[in-house]
Amino acid sequence: MKPGLTPFSEIWVYLSGSPLLALVLTLSAYLVGLTIYERTERKPWANPVLIAVILTACAINTFGMSYAKYFEGAQFVHFLLGTATVALAIPIYKGWASLKGRVWALLLALFAGAITSIVTAVGMARLLGVDEKLVRGLVAKSVTAPIAMGIAESVQASPTLTAIFAVSTGILGAVLGRFVLNILHISEWWQRGFALGVAAHGIGTSRALSVHPEAGAYASLGMGMHGIMGAVLIPYVAVYFL
Amino acid sequence: MWATSFCLIYTDRMIQGFVQLLIFQTLGELLSKVWLHSIPGPVIGLVLLLAYFGLRSGIPDPIGSVGGSILQHLGLLFVPASVGVVLYLPLLQANAWGIASTLIVSVLATIGVSALVLKLTMSDSQSKS
Repeated sequence: MKPGLTPFSEIWVYLSGSPLLALVLTLSAYLVGLTIYERTERKPWANPVLIAVILTACAINTFGMSYAKYFEGAQFVHFLLGTATVALAIPIYKGWASLKGRVWALLLALFAGAITSIVTAVGMARLLGVDEKLVRGLVAKSVTAPIAMGIAESVQASPTLTAIFAVSTGILGAVLGRFVLNILHISEWWQRGFALGVAAHGIGTSRALSVHPEAGAYASLGMGMHGIMGAVLIPYVAVYFL
Repeated sequence: MWATSFCLIYTDRMIQGFVQLLIFQTLGELLSKVWLHSIPGPVIGLVLLLAYFGLRSGIPDPIGSVGGSILQHLGLLFVPASVGVVLYLPLLQANAWGIASTLIVSVLATIGVSALVLKLTMSDSQSKS
């Protein structure tokens, strides 16, 4: 072997051993996702996270990289999740300021929605004979993904499944939500927004924001309140369902 | 000269905001470890930060700008965990229809129930007043 000429395979071994490759893959996949999202005028089905996950999963499969190896590098991105969760106080505080004596109605709606989410998901999944491992991942699916993954750990669910179900729920809620709201003749923007935030967290909130600012403010409040309440209550509620 | 000092102040504030967020996260983790075991540390940090905003009756600028930029790309942060779906693909494929219909029905029911509760309670209180 001539000095100064490293064979490609050796560079490859070096690269896939360092966290750099996983980070580059994750960030560029997300960038592609964002670009597609912007190009489709922020349509909920073109969700950047979904696109990034599909691209990254395909990439590590092609490279023959194990998930454990990938995560060793990508954990540096994953770590910021906790910090971002703390920062969720910002939209909640802003939404709280725009409340007009509706606290009790909102709390009641949130509670009803949260219970509906758990009961319908766990009940229907059991009825359809879905594998028990997956059922656990459904419990926190309407809670915003960063908090849902924290809850997953305390109810012995897989954080990965919880994140996947939360993102899918967000997309489905953002795409299909208006049909239910129209059938039920919900005409107030703040009511439509809050319901979307409670059921479809962050993705529903961006959808609500793009439709009407008042709907957006209440959606982000619904998402935040569900996050806090879910973290406190789901570990206790889950005991009765799982 | 002016531009440099502006940049310095700007980055200072970025770091200041980031440190404040990390401190609240650490406090949350500590409380979660020693007392409120079932609640994830970052969520306790979130509640503490809310209380801090309440005390200051406003969002201090450094936290507001750093937090805002982190939240703008919140989605990126849960990509690494979600890629773990590769480990569950066979299980998900075997349960694809059950999971898909459960997710659809459940999210629609959740939206419907929370919106209806709002509509009913608000029309109720308005007719009373």
